[in-house]
Amino acid sequence: LEKRHQQKHSGPKAEKKKLKKQKGSTEDDDQKRNPKAFAVQSAVRMAKTFHRAQDIKTKKHHIPLVDRSPFEPPPVVIVVVGPPRVGKSTLIRCLIKNFTRQKLGDICGPVTIVSGKKRRLTFMECNNDINTMIDLAKVADLVLMLIDASFGFEMETFEFLNICQVHGFPRIMGVLTHLDSFRNNKMLRKTKKNLKHRFWTEVYQGAKLFYLSGMVYGEYQTQEVKNLGRFISVMKFRPLVWQTSHPYVLVDRMEDLTDPERLRTDPKCNRTVSLYGYLRGTYLKNKGQVHIPGVGDFQVTGVNFLPDPCSLPDAQKKRALNEKERLLYAPMAGVGGVVYDKDAVYIDLPANHVKQQQDMVRPTTELVHSLIDTHATLDAKMASSKVSLFSSSEGSFYCFLSSGAPRWKESLQQKASEAFLRQQEAAPNLRKLVYGSVVEADDSEGEEEEVGGMFRVIRPQKCKRFQVNALDCSRFNPDTSHNWEAEEMLNSIMDCFVTGKWKECQDAATLLKEDEELFGDFEDLETGEVHEGQTGLQDQAEVHPVSLVKVDEEEVLKNKRLEKKRRLKERFDAEYDDGDATYFDDLKEEMQKQAELNRLEFEDVDNETRVQYEGFRPGMYIRLEISSLPCEFVINFDPHYPIILGGLGSSEGNVGYLQMRLKKHRWYERILKTRDPLILSLGWRRFQTIPLYHIEDHNGRHRLLKYTPQHMHCGASIWGPITPQGTGFLAVQSVAGAKANFRIAATGVVLDLDKSVTVVKKLKLIGYPYKIFKNTCFIKGMFNTVLEVVKFEGASVRTVSGVRGQIKKALTTHPGAFRATFEDRLLMSDIVFLRSWYPVCVPQLYNPVTSLLLPVGQKDSWAGMRTLGQLKHDLGIRNKPNTDSLYMPVNRAQRRFNPLHIPKELQKALPFKSKPKQQQPKGKMPRDLQRPSVIREPHEKKVAALLHALSTVHNYKRKKAHLVQHTRHKEFLQQKEKQEEAKLKRQKEARKKLYRVMGQMEQKQHRSSLKGVPQDD
Amino acid sequence: ICGPNAAIHGLVYDGCNFFRQRLVLSTLSGKRVKIKNIRSRDDDPGLRDFEASLIRLLDKVTNGSRIEINQTGTVLFYQPGLLYGGCVEHDCNPQRSIGYYLEALLMLAPFMKTSLKATLRGVTNDPTDPTVDLLKSTALPLMKKFGIDGDGFELKVVKRGMAPGGGGEVVFTCPVRRTIRPVQLTDPGKIKRIRGVAYSVRVSPQMANRIVDSARGVLNHFLPDIYIYTDHMKGANSGKSPGFGLTLVAETLNGCFLSAEMTSTPQGQGDPVLPEDLGRNCAKLLLEEVYRGGCVDSSNQSLALLLMTLGQQDVSKVLLGPLSPYTIEFLRNIRDFFQVMFKIEVKKPSEDERNGGDKVLMTCVGVGYSNISKTLK
Repeated sequence: LEKRHQQKHSGPKAEKKKLKKQKGSTEDDDQKRNPKAFAVQSAVRMAKTFHRAQDIKTKKHHIPLVDRSPFEPPPVVIVVVGPPRVGKSTLIRCLIKNFTRQKLGDICGPVTIVSGKKRRLTFMECNNDINTMIDLAKVADLVLMLIDASFGFEMETFEFLNICQVHGFPRIMGVLTHLDSFRNNKMLRKTKKNLKHRFWTEVYQGAKLFYLSGMVYGEYQTQEVKNLGRFISVMKFRPLVWQTSHPYVLVDRMEDLTDPERLRTDPKCNRTVSLYGYLRGTYLKNKGQVHIPGVGDFQVTGVNFLPDPCSLPDAQKKRALNEKERLLYAPMAGVGGVVYDKDAVYIDLPANHVKQQQDMVRPTTELVHSLIDTHATLDAKMASSKVSLFSSSEGSFYCFLSSGAPRWKESLQQKASEAFLRQQEAAPNLRKLVYGSVVEADDSEGEEEEVGGMFRVIRPQKCKRFQVNALDCSRFNPDTSHNWEAEEMLNSIMDCFVTGKWKECQDAATLLKEDEELFGDFEDLETGEVHEGQTGLQDQAEVHPVSLVKVDEEEVLKNKRLEKKRRLKERFDAEYDDGDATYFDDLKEEMQKQAELNRLEFEDVDNETRVQYEGFRPGMYIRLEISSLPCEFVINFDPHYPIILGGLGSSEGNVGYLQMRLKKHRWYERILKTRDPLILSLGWRRFQTIPLYHIEDHNGRHRLLKYTPQHMHCGASIWGPITPQGTGFLAVQSVAGAKANFRIAATGVVLDLDKSVTVVKKLKLIGYPYKIFKNTCFIKGMFNTVLEVVKFEGASVRTVSGVRGQIKKALTTHPGAFRATFEDRLLMSDIVFLRSWYPVCVPQLYNPVTSLLLPVGQKDSWAGMRTLGQLKHDLGIRNKPNTDSLYMPVNRAQRRFNPLHIPKELQKALPFKSKPKQQQPKGKMPRDLQRPSVIREPHEKKVAALLHALSTVHNYKRKKAHLVQHTRHKEFLQQKEKQEEAKLKRQKEARKKLYRVMGQMEQKQHRSSLKGVPQDD
Repeated sequence: ICGPNAAIHGLVYDGCNFFRQRLVLSTLSGKRVKIKNIRSRDDDPGLRDFEASLIRLLDKVTNGSRIEINQTGTVLFYQPGLLYGGCVEHDCNPQRSIGYYLEALLMLAPFMKTSLKATLRGVTNDPTDPTVDLLKSTALPLMKKFGIDGDGFELKVVKRGMAPGGGGEVVFTCPVRRTIRPVQLTDPGKIKRIRGVAYSVRVSPQMANRIVDSARGVLNHFLPDIYIYTDHMKGANSGKSPGFGLTLVAETLNGCFLSAEMTSTPQGQGDPVLPEDLGRNCAKLLLEEVYRGGCVDSSNQSLALLLMTLGQQDVSKVLLGPLSPYTIEFLRNIRDFFQVMFKIEVKKPSEDERNGGDKVLMTCVGVGYSNISKTLK
């Protein structure tokens, strides 16, 4: 057994160790002690390491963005996604119970809760309709993706992940449920691992996957839910491009404001609806345009902000929320002071709020009343002949006289002139002058006189401030009251020039003085003398006697001091920090400054005014009123479907041609056909459109494709809503019903917006020669008139065999025939074609998917325009193929070739071996040339046989002797070689010996010569 | 009901005043506009030739615009297309000078699909509109502050043509930008130098020198660093009418430009002016401009405010002199088209400073406008 190491606590070793620890071995130390270890071993390797370090450093850089996140952020939108019966509602219920200790029955619509001191959450359940999945993916901050572990991933999960990828990736957290169905522990572990790795490949390596092990009384285990809640409440979110550049509202309350009388008379009239929710994303301008996915585009009639129904607790120093602060707000589910009924919402509002609204409404209705009253005939008014006074706070503005013109306009004019005068006299309130009661566009009806009852005399108006038809000129004519000859006038701008007086902080003299102060105090180290700045002493002397200065003067002094301090600090920073500040650092600092300015600029302005300048801030609870919503929106309202108000930027409400880059999804089984309608999800919108697919040739031409390529990007042009470039989109062929297959057909990105497209397809015009003169050829059948030919003069043509040519001139004999020249002579059987490009127009179909307007329960059955294939299938039409395109058995006739005939003259000239005679079979030998055959006598036969036998024996003997001779010769050669080798060896030895002797001699000589030199001295 | 166009009804205005602003803002915001009662009570009703020329220019730089004008020309309907840019040549109507057209083009140029190269022909200098020299020396440096710069940003006076004959030529090139930078122009700084151009065409070259002398006589009182170039164009470059004029620019330490200008009365329209008077009056106009002060001179206020509005969603600030009526109407139009309101604060100069009149600090949050015409590669 080995003894354990005993650490010394006392003695010299311990002392030494303690000393070492105290000093601490720095890098410097190590380098000194072992310099070799830190020496440059390889310059290449060092360069590589440096390069890599820099690469890693640079990769971490992102383009700095101005931090525009709101001070009081809106609730985080948590979308709970998963296949049916996986436990979505249960999870939401458990989380709500975890945070607020309240039990919620049916989860319909968004549920907002306060989860912590600085965080609120909005839960939204996502059903399995692809429309809902698309809409919610666009507004989600966090996605809880529920996965049934006993089943594994389903197609919807992958679809949702793909949707997220296209529309900006929100945070995604997987939650495995149904883990209690595993009996086998090993199996459970294996499944968990498999699912985790599959999830990682889809989201990112190391994405969080949560396990909910089992149910207790129909709920998940408290501790697990609590942990999940903790994860959610500390999670950080990244800003997504689309979300941060567009305002949006996830509606949590809807009210129908339509006049009930109108509803009674016309139940299908357009509805006026107010929608409530937290504003997210970015600032929302009043009277902007919004898109409601599933309904359409609408102009917002009015926006106002309301007190927060689910506000964060007041800032107090404590850890947890108390019971009162754990708020829950879900009007669609009937919680939070609001009762949700089938066709109405009852809200319990504080009394003062209602009053406020009424006050606001009154003046406008009066205006309307006055307008309505003017519709009454003059006679009727004459008959009544009364002066009707309206009870208005502003007095006689709305008083009526019995005249035809609408009086409110006159009064406005009067009001305006008054305002103008007031503004002239008093200090000008510029804001009111610019934005308040703008009435320059009054018409001059009041001042018209009638002449003879027929003509009107028009008098040009002189008193108007801005004439509507005045000269449109940006020049601002100078104030005539300024006399620039006068000395005081000249004096009034003296300080605008560098020669004038400077501010104290900028004046060169004061700055110099300050420098003296700053660097004036120093101690002469050699003499030990202390020099003090003069001014400092003076300042003190000045300050000391005047101890009873007023508070404001003190304030001024304090400010001055602070200012000075700031400047000194700036100078210090400039001297020590900015030396190694990179461009990146500067940019970052600039952004930070801008963010600070954004935050502080309107901080102390009251909300009413602030909203006018900035628009409504994200985080506000707002109410949007939209008139003219289709009645189906209200009638078929289903709180389980999300209503999203997506704000549109300027000109995003227009339609135009969009050019995009598209790729068929690799999991989608079929390729897509040009001109087949496709449902796109782009920006906030879902719409059906007809795309044309094309590909860019090398010369920048966009050539039409009939089908999308299999594994490649291609271009697509559509007629659709103008959406900023760089926005991603996805395409599905149908949104109706659930299918087993993967539904996302293609994904891509918008590249270009335009009002025209340049997609072309190839068109080959075919013609046939009818007369051939050497290289010139007359061709017909390509065109029909001379005019057509004239348009194509000079165009290049080609034959199928590749002979190139050019169209020269039209012929008058055949209409449409022309003369063309070619690089070679054509044959009558050649076909001439002209390759041209024909522009294709994109069909103007833009059909928004109005799935929210469908009846409850059928919202996932929206069907738009059918594809040609579907139509044919539905109508039972089979295509009749072109008979030329059909395959037939090929019958090839036997080909016969004529014998080759070579003229006699040529034959004569040919060399002998090439003469065709040689190739011919030989004819019969003439009799006289034939050798007669010899027939032997019996004796002769015998002799011949003996001779033959003898020669055979002789041959055998000779062969044998030759063999023997051969072997002997071989042996001889071997021996000779051996001798040669031995001789060479010997010679080598001898040479070696000789050289050694020679070398020794030389060395000796050399040595002696070396020795000889000093000996000589 | 559901189509994107259905929701927009467009904006309706009366009268031909502020015609350019409305068309430019309409083009940038994509909102259609209808202008009614254009000189409907005039003896000569309807659009004038110069307005028609402006519309034609807009049509040239855009793609897919729809313009409808009624029979008498009193009603104009304009549905903007996308800004296209590229090489544009335009013969501007000589009723107004090129400055009239160029002011509109300056506002549109950074938001085109391809960088703009516009050749404008017509009157380069006339007394009513800002001349090309003024725009060159003030509007271009102003736009540079908003991040619109680069080598392709230039305004070149090739030929000078005075009113009424014209015959001048100007080449304006501008690169495209996807976004505009927010600015904080709150401190103009003190004026460090004064520069200027005294030009004369088809008159004695001595005129320019006489202008310079008289202008310097007034300005020398304030600053020693004054240099006024004389520009006498001859032959084919001198246009069709005689005339002369002066443009003065004051540059501050912080790179702000204030300018004033004066042009001789067009031939055959009113009394001729002496070059000495013109020089002196122009110098006084510059003093007036200095008195108004601010970081942007009075004729470019609207351009600065537009670029602030079109910036990213950040706070922009700019200090202006008193708002001109044109700017006030422009602010209202910005509110109509972009729903942006400016915070307007009057800055009174402190008593011991002699910095001219009251200033106005304009603050706004940009709309986060991005150039939707530019192609993504």
